[in-house]
Amino acid sequence: MWSGGAAIFVLVSCVFCASALADGLVNEDVKRTLDLSSHLAKITAEIQLANHGAARVNSLTLALEAELAPHLAFIGASVKGEEEEDEGLELKETTLHGQSGKFFEAQLPSSLAPGAKLRVKVETVFSHVLKPFPSHITQAEQQLVVFQGNHYLYSPYPTRSQTTRVRLASKTVESYTKLGNPTKSEESIEYGPFKDVPPFSQDDMKIHYENNTPFLTISSITRTIEVSHWGNIAVEETIDLRHTGAYLKGPFSRYDYQRQSDSGISSVKSFKTILPASAQDVYYRDEIGNISTSHLQVLDDSVEVEIRPRFPLFGGWKTHYIIGYNLPSYEYLYNLGDQYALKMRLVDHIYDDQVIDQLTVKLILPEGARNIHVDTPYPISRSQDELHYTYLDTFGRPVLVATKNNLVEQHIQDVVVHYNFNKILMLQEPLLVVGAFYILFFTVIIYVRLDFSITKDPAAEVRMKVASITEQVLTLVNKRLGLYRHMDEVVNRYKQSRDTGALNSGRKTLEAEHRTLTNDITALQTRLKAEGSDLAEKVGEIQKLDRLEGQGHFPLATSLTFCFPGQLFSATRLLIGNLDSLLSSVETKGLFLLTSPDTSKHLSISSLHTLSLLILSTFSILHFSINYLPSTCQSGT
Amino acid sequence: YVSSSNAGGSVSGNGRHSSPAGCGGSGGGLSGGLTQPAGWQSLLSFTILFLAWLAGFSSRLFAVIRFESIIHEFDPWFNYRSTHHLSTNGFYEFLNWFDERAWYPLGRIVGGTVYPGLMVTAGLIHYILNLLHVTVHIRDVCVFLAPVFSGLTAVSTFLLTRELWNQGAGLLAACFIAIVPGYISRSVAGSFDNEGIAIFALQFTYYLWVKSVKTGSVFWTIGCCLSYFYMVSAWGGYVFIINLIPLHVFVLLLMQRFSRRLYIAYSTFYIVGLVLSMQIPFVGFQPIRTSEHMAAAGVFALLQAYAFLQYLKDRLTRQEFQTLFFLGVSLAAGVVFLTLTKPSLPPLLRYAKIHIPIIASVSEHQPTTWVSFFFDLHILVCTFPAGLWFCIKNINDERVFVALYAISAVYFAGVMVRLMLTLTPVVCMLSAIAFSSVFEHYLGDDMKRENPIKQHPFYPVKNSSVYSKLIVTMLMLMLLMMFAVHCTWVTSNAYSSPSVVLASYNHDGSRNILDDFREAYYWLRQNTDEHARVMSWWDYGYQIAGMANRTTLVDNNTWNNSHIALVGKAMSSNESAAYEIMKSLDVDYVLIIFGGVIGYSGDDINKFLWMVRIAEGEHPKDIRESDYFTPQGEFRVDKAGSPTLLNCLMYKMSYYRFGEMQLDFRTPPGFDRTRNAEIGNKDIRLKHLEEAFTSEHWLVRIYRVKKQENRQALDHKLRNIAAKQKYTSKKVLPSRFH
Repeated sequence: MWSGGAAIFVLVSCVFCASALADGLVNEDVKRTLDLSSHLAKITAEIQLANHGAARVNSLTLALEAELAPHLAFIGASVKGEEEEDEGLELKETTLHGQSGKFFEAQLPSSLAPGAKLRVKVETVFSHVLKPFPSHITQAEQQLVVFQGNHYLYSPYPTRSQTTRVRLASKTVESYTKLGNPTKSEESIEYGPFKDVPPFSQDDMKIHYENNTPFLTISSITRTIEVSHWGNIAVEETIDLRHTGAYLKGPFSRYDYQRQSDSGISSVKSFKTILPASAQDVYYRDEIGNISTSHLQVLDDSVEVEIRPRFPLFGGWKTHYIIGYNLPSYEYLYNLGDQYALKMRLVDHIYDDQVIDQLTVKLILPEGARNIHVDTPYPISRSQDELHYTYLDTFGRPVLVATKNNLVEQHIQDVVVHYNFNKILMLQEPLLVVGAFYILFFTVIIYVRLDFSITKDPAAEVRMKVASITEQVLTLVNKRLGLYRHMDEVVNRYKQSRDTGALNSGRKTLEAEHRTLTNDITALQTRLKAEGSDLAEKVGEIQKLDRLEGQGHFPLATSLTFCFPGQLFSATRLLIGNLDSLLSSVETKGLFLLTSPDTSKHLSISSLHTLSLLILSTFSILHFSINYLPSTCQSGT
Repeated sequence: YVSSSNAGGSVSGNGRHSSPAGCGGSGGGLSGGLTQPAGWQSLLSFTILFLAWLAGFSSRLFAVIRFESIIHEFDPWFNYRSTHHLSTNGFYEFLNWFDERAWYPLGRIVGGTVYPGLMVTAGLIHYILNLLHVTVHIRDVCVFLAPVFSGLTAVSTFLLTRELWNQGAGLLAACFIAIVPGYISRSVAGSFDNEGIAIFALQFTYYLWVKSVKTGSVFWTIGCCLSYFYMVSAWGGYVFIINLIPLHVFVLLLMQRFSRRLYIAYSTFYIVGLVLSMQIPFVGFQPIRTSEHMAAAGVFALLQAYAFLQYLKDRLTRQEFQTLFFLGVSLAAGVVFLTLTKPSLPPLLRYAKIHIPIIASVSEHQPTTWVSFFFDLHILVCTFPAGLWFCIKNINDERVFVALYAISAVYFAGVMVRLMLTLTPVVCMLSAIAFSSVFEHYLGDDMKRENPIKQHPFYPVKNSSVYSKLIVTMLMLMLLMMFAVHCTWVTSNAYSSPSVVLASYNHDGSRNILDDFREAYYWLRQNTDEHARVMSWWDYGYQIAGMANRTTLVDNNTWNNSHIALVGKAMSSNESAAYEIMKSLDVDYVLIIFGGVIGYSGDDINKFLWMVRIAEGEHPKDIRESDYFTPQGEFRVDKAGSPTLLNCLMYKMSYYRFGEMQLDFRTPPGFDRTRNAEIGNKDIRLKHLEEAFTSEHWLVRIYRVKKQENRQALDHKLRNIAAKQKYTSKKVLPSRFH
């Protein structure tokens, strides 16, 4: 009798629907599964569709109840093929006249002939439909939630037979609606089978049960992806996290929380975030610094971060953090000449069964990227593009901004961004640095060379003139010392080869040079005298010393050729010793006399030990820091 | 050729050397600049200063390497918060900032009560970097500001020492100041405090002052004034400058070293410096009002009088001059008298201040011990008197200055641990002079033998043997080496803890981070009402404002003693009396630090007696310190403790539910590890408060102050009005009213 009544109803409704749908689809067999074991409601329906109409059908319509529709996070439909290969269907939102709810039209891969059958799987995920009841609990209490839904599949087509299976989070169930005498086993309730359900039929299902799974919700997340063509992609996620379960009422006792295992059972201590396998330099921090309570585990195919918020999250508590990491760009960035394509996840895993209320994605492309084109896996609203300035940028990097609300795990999909980038622009940044340093050094050179004083100081000018002359004298003296050394070499060579000709010619050229040098110095000495400097006398003194030495030197060397070998050796030794002492005396005297007393002499002394001190301290710092450097990663992860 | 030791590149090879034995490795090709000693000299000095900067910078990074880039301690959190405010809202907003989140319900006018130099410096650096698109966070600018400025301090110390002695001593001084613990203690990365930049300003001002006294040039004096202005904007320690420079001038006058240069330098410095210093809102008219600045004014007047007399001396006859001189002297005496009577007051006041509990309670206001002198300065504390002696033996205008600097700084450092900081630079300079002289003597002897000109008459030129030279040099080098090692050790172990994050080490050497402070502060930030008012002892005020971003009642800017006393009174009263105070102050949460679980000694129970004392100072009728001691005069938390203590709010909040907690099997439940005692009151019940949050290691406990309960229902029957049919509207069902 029930089926008869239903049949009439079906007829009526078919007539009613005919105008709206104009096809004869019937849900032959429906298996619904309501997975309420987490904080999401995942409703899966496996539908056996049959075309009872006369015409071929190209599309089918999926419907959602008006009460649940606003909470819809994800809907996906697929056709079950014979070879167990699911084929996803493209969904388009439509409206049905005179019916409340939300409707999607799915294009079938091939049209359905009259009488033919098709297996379709519809997957929907709803967020925030499990309402905690009571809404405030103490730390010791369990969290109970209520789910309100529909016993039947909400569909524009009549249903011949359907079953509904509800999976719960625990055995404890306070109450549930008892339509059709459901059977309750351990953690699930089975409804049905219901026969011949008319289209758009609704019957309130209400289940009140214990659910202590973490009710974590990401109230907002900003995901910034910064692409650098120098080989790096930096990802940073700023996350606002909230426990959306039953609010904590009364005190939070740390003692109970530490000592009793069932205290605060619905609170969140930690969760796992899975990052790409190539993620490096992971950091996990917030406004006041690094969050030290976290662990990083590098696995073969992923990097797992165990994220522990600073404090356990109880109902109603929230927290905020930033997690970031670097990726090598060769895994995600492809190019063909100047055309680039970036393939990245639009949103990534944060925790299992994640719910994101609001997502903002910011894609920062390199400076100079043009013809940007974005392929998103699902519709997402683009905002106005922005410009981002970071190190060494001049005209800014283009930033693509996109937002979307209510996302779940099923939304972890790739986005592809195509753009053009001229590789020459890569040189811009190094050139900027080079240019900056060039300007800096140039300014220093200009500043040192030019005189910017507004007054004239004749004394200083004379001093500078004298200084320049003394410098010249010093160079000449040094050159002359070099000559003496050459003379020695010539003598040495003569000692071995006994080639008088070479000695004489060498001596001659050296003597000539020596003469010109000495003349030059004398000329400079007169100039010094003209400037009225007493340094002229000191130069004279050097000249005197040099004359003395030169007299001893050159004639001696010539006379040596005629000596006996044995005597020669000792004489040479003597000469060399004599020469050395003379050399050093001229040298030290020269240096000492010519430089003004308070400049250079301390330098060689003090600077040495200063340097050693510095090196020592640097070493000890290195030593200490190596000893104390924590073996773990800096971010504490 | 063994002894032909040509100094490096002083021989410019002419490219015709053929024999390898000829000129041992002095290859030509060194360009013209380096053949000159001056070129070498500037290259060496530059390199050494650069290395000193680098060494100073890197030795301050222990905390960043071991922990993270984080602001340390207490005051830096306020500085960071205000710098953040400055960088987000702009300079004028910062100057006009009224902080309603501090000193509830009074608030604080921040712009007029801070030295803005630090914030403006950090803000400016941040602004410039961002202008160049170097996008660093303001926190990182703040963290690394002090290490960067330590390099500048090294450079300015080098300049000052070079003016005083010579370049070699200057380089040594720069190296010393770069790594000396006395200065590092205030300038590690993360210690974002006024002193970090003030020591640079101090040294640079002194350098410019010495330069202006030496040259008598207005240019250098104006530079000195600008540097002084920066110092005034950065630290209250500018008073040291404005007293030391007049003292220098005064002593120079006494030593009959008056010169036109001195007159120009001081007159310009006083007038321009005075006007500039009054531009800082927090300083305002103090330089012409308070006694601390009167010495400068007095010396200014004296200098004018002296100069005037000098002028008259040339114009007048002896007779006229004598009468005028007496007149002038009596006038000057009057001025001096005025300036001396006034300052005689403040030292007394300051002495009294030490006995105000709130000042005495701060650990850095304690007198310095000998140990800390050695700890902070190591060998320098032994050598600097030698440097001072060298300076005094060979006195000139600027060495008078450094002697006065040394003497006054030693005095101040003895008064307060904190002022160790002002002593450190002068100790570095004088030690550098001492070391430099010794090295000069023992390393440069052979030069002197050949150069009999006695350039340093205070050195007996004697021919010390090679061995004695060697031994002395080695010894000195050993000392310097020990100094470097000590500095690094002290920096690493004593001065590189952020104190916001604690670390403990396990037996196997692995590290445990105790991040309780940030845990609790962040909980406050995230999970309390934005305008919630948190009561805590004043030590944590800046941290709560900075990290938790919540309104506090009292903080480290301890300007209002009675307000602090009120908080102290609430903490030391019993719960119901405290509740009245907390109600009157609109307190929502109470935050305390409790170290009993992990054995942290700096907790509130250990500070508790200061709270009692400060409360007693303002409320002697309600709080008496003696009530908190046992009859034997002991402060105990166990059963023998005084009942007043065992029932006061602080005790109750610290040990709430601690009595049930057994930390290990050897000790009874409720065993306090910090005080090594089993607590005396284990059954603590709170009536007006409830536990809101306790951090993982119980280090921070936060209690919520319960709102007043609804009044109890009156004990009489409700009025029973018989519903009269004629008054009710027909449209409404009457049953709904019943």
